[in-house]
Amino acid sequence: MNGYLRRRLIQMVPLFFGVSIVIFGVIQAAPGGPEGSLLAAGKFVDPAVIESYRRRLGVDQPVYIQYANWLGATVRGDLGTSFSTSRPVGALIAERLPATLELMGVAFVFAALVALPLGLVSSRKPGGLFDSIGTGTSFLGLAMPVFWFGLILQLVFSVRLGWLPVAGTGTIGASSFADHLKHLILPGFVLSTRYIAGWSRYFRSTLLGLAAAPFVRTARAKGITEARIERVHTVRNGLIPVISIMALNLADLFSGAVITETVFAWPGIGRLFVQAMFARDYPLLMGILLMGAATVILFNLVADLLYGLLDPRIRYE
Amino acid sequence: MNRPIAGLTVVAVALLAGCGGADGKAADGKKILRVAYEREIDLLNPFTSQNLVDISFSMIEGLVTTDGHNRFVPVLAKTIPTKENGLVVANPDGTLDMTWPLQPHVSWHDGRPFTSRDVCFTWKFVTNPASETYNREQYLGIKDCRTPNDTTVVFRWDGEYAYYDGLFEAILPEHLLGQMTAEQIVQFEPYNRGSKTIGTGPFKFSEWKAGEYIRVVRNDHYWRGKDYPKIDEIVWAFIPDANTRMNALKSGQYHFGRILPIQVKDVAALPGYQTYLIPSNSVMHLDLSVKTPNGKALFADPNVRRALFQVIDKQAIAGQLMEGTVPVANSPINTTSRFYNPAVPVHPVNPDGAKHLLDQAGWTIGADGVRTKDGTRFAFTILNRAGATDRIAVAQVIQAELKAIGVEVKFETLESAAWTERWRSSRWEAVVSAWFLPADPSLTGLYACDGANNMTGFCDPALDPLLKRSDRTLSFRDRKRDLDSVQVYLAQSARTLPLYYNVIPELVSTKVGNYRGSGTNFGSFWNLFDWTLAP
Repeated sequence: MNGYLRRRLIQMVPLFFGVSIVIFGVIQAAPGGPEGSLLAAGKFVDPAVIESYRRRLGVDQPVYIQYANWLGATVRGDLGTSFSTSRPVGALIAERLPATLELMGVAFVFAALVALPLGLVSSRKPGGLFDSIGTGTSFLGLAMPVFWFGLILQLVFSVRLGWLPVAGTGTIGASSFADHLKHLILPGFVLSTRYIAGWSRYFRSTLLGLAAAPFVRTARAKGITEARIERVHTVRNGLIPVISIMALNLADLFSGAVITETVFAWPGIGRLFVQAMFARDYPLLMGILLMGAATVILFNLVADLLYGLLDPRIRYE
Repeated sequence: MNRPIAGLTVVAVALLAGCGGADGKAADGKKILRVAYEREIDLLNPFTSQNLVDISFSMIEGLVTTDGHNRFVPVLAKTIPTKENGLVVANPDGTLDMTWPLQPHVSWHDGRPFTSRDVCFTWKFVTNPASETYNREQYLGIKDCRTPNDTTVVFRWDGEYAYYDGLFEAILPEHLLGQMTAEQIVQFEPYNRGSKTIGTGPFKFSEWKAGEYIRVVRNDHYWRGKDYPKIDEIVWAFIPDANTRMNALKSGQYHFGRILPIQVKDVAALPGYQTYLIPSNSVMHLDLSVKTPNGKALFADPNVRRALFQVIDKQAIAGQLMEGTVPVANSPINTTSRFYNPAVPVHPVNPDGAKHLLDQAGWTIGADGVRTKDGTRFAFTILNRAGATDRIAVAQVIQAELKAIGVEVKFETLESAAWTERWRSSRWEAVVSAWFLPADPSLTGLYACDGANNMTGFCDPALDPLLKRSDRTLSFRDRKRDLDSVQVYLAQSARTLPLYYNVIPELVSTKVGNYRGSGTNFGSFWNLFDWTLAP
């Protein structure tokens, strides 16, 4: 197990390096530079100012030199300085990460609490009323555009009923824990719908597949009750593929939800990413994208390790 | 009811209790103005920020600002110098001494006195290329800055410079930043982020929650007197999404917010709010370029341009597409400006006349319905900026109208930064775009042969002397005469097609008093010191 873990961690280094090259290349290939934000407002900008700006940011250098400079600094733990705010990238990400973790965490936990029982109950009587309603609602959840759903909820619960706030994380100047929770409800719910829809359907179909498996048939033949079969055999085995999907989704915790954060003015990584993208803020984009890549790689490893806990037959070599 | 459900119900009731709109008063009785702000700002240095304006001007004042009538008004200056009031004096060597008397008894937010030395320090910073001030060029005519006393500053200009009165929209504190280089100031985080952002304005920095809001609080020692400002706090909540902002305003949680012209109808009957359509100095226009071979083949002939412009129904665009929220434009200068020329000739809608002009120019209808001349099809591409829905909609109308006379228009849509890069490199044939002119407009940068923002490739030596002379005179009469001629010339030569003047729809709570909307680049918060907020 330790050897396996060490090997996987070592394998991450070249993978991470490769990812950084790809990301850097893609960012640089996008047309337009950071000076675009100087010009976007339709103001008359002195061309000498543009040159000075590009020189200060170092984007007048060849791309490979820019990459070498970035890599050198990153290896030393410095993710660089944001072009648009003149602040350290690490500090900007650290500032926004808690909001994203909180929102995604709430959505994640809520989704898990709803999706798994939903999938389980649906699988007990496929084609039944509950399953049909569950299937229909799930497809609706998957098909509904997030921004539209968010705006509709705002219209209903904030504008019409006045029950919940439209946006932000708290009433400015009068925030409390309860007030903060109120602000979490709409974005958390909107965000969780896609997970609920996906996970519940996935869990349901996995359980249905397992119900016809030989070892379940054997258990039934031995006279074991359906409840015990479900608890000991099908649910536990059915969780393995669901966990791998959930682990991949866990990486979203760190990369944020661009649309939900925008619609609900939630100050997370997703919105920071959008701003960085429009401002061609290369260091900030690199920082956010690499963090996203790192978490995907890391949570894949976590999922692989979790399989062993759920299924003792899996061994790490 | 079982216990978990009862518990949840209690939590829900507790959460929902107290939900409601902003009444402008906090629990401690403070008057808090809540603004649903359309941008998330980058930093607080007014010269290097790309999108600060409103928030900055609540804290940081300049020598001048603009009022709700597109006019410059003094702020830290006691009066704006002119030849007539004797504060602008010509020297025998052609230079000009311009004296700005400053307001006395003004303090920075840290209690230190504001003096003429702060103004000269600001001039030195702005003219340094490393300051990255977008309009640095405009300050370069100032050759020297003197401080005869604490409340007088004298600039020596290298000659007459027409829009001197729009400069120095902010002043920097020398005592805080004076020991730093321009590079250091640009990157000085305490000033950029608020902990040391000091000004002389009616409000002081209080808090910046990244991605969420900026809060400014009353400056109890404001120089206009203890009665100003009249509200205690302003909260600028960053809500960039227009639909979310609209919902936030509708929910009654904010007192002020800018909306889109197409949202105006939606809030016409919103109780407790009034919508103001603020005419801005921004003109939506169609530009054609002759810098590409295809553009040159199509648009070099002024009669061809006239033909195209005769087909585009500006009235329909303004009245139907923009739902009657914007006024039609015939000049780049807004009708609210004293430099607007009402005698500018218009291109009346006349498709038959347009067809005739194109026929005369040798562009005849081909087999596929598109006009051709010497083997060249009359087809060009409008470069669209992704997300600029109003501009794209206008481009679609233009496409349909030109199709009717045998002209094919295609679209290429690029994301904002990519669009800007392409536009600056002149690799485009047509754009629907907007310029934001200052209250005292100069057209030189846009239409002179060597204009820094003339990306169309059009160059008319007859126009240049008028443009440049208009920049170098302090006489309103002379300047007006030249700019009047320029406006007529632009229309006659069909250099550009002004479509409509953009408006800024502002939704303002009826609790807010003394709001005087302004469509200049200074914005509607120019008189925040005077705003009131009813309970």
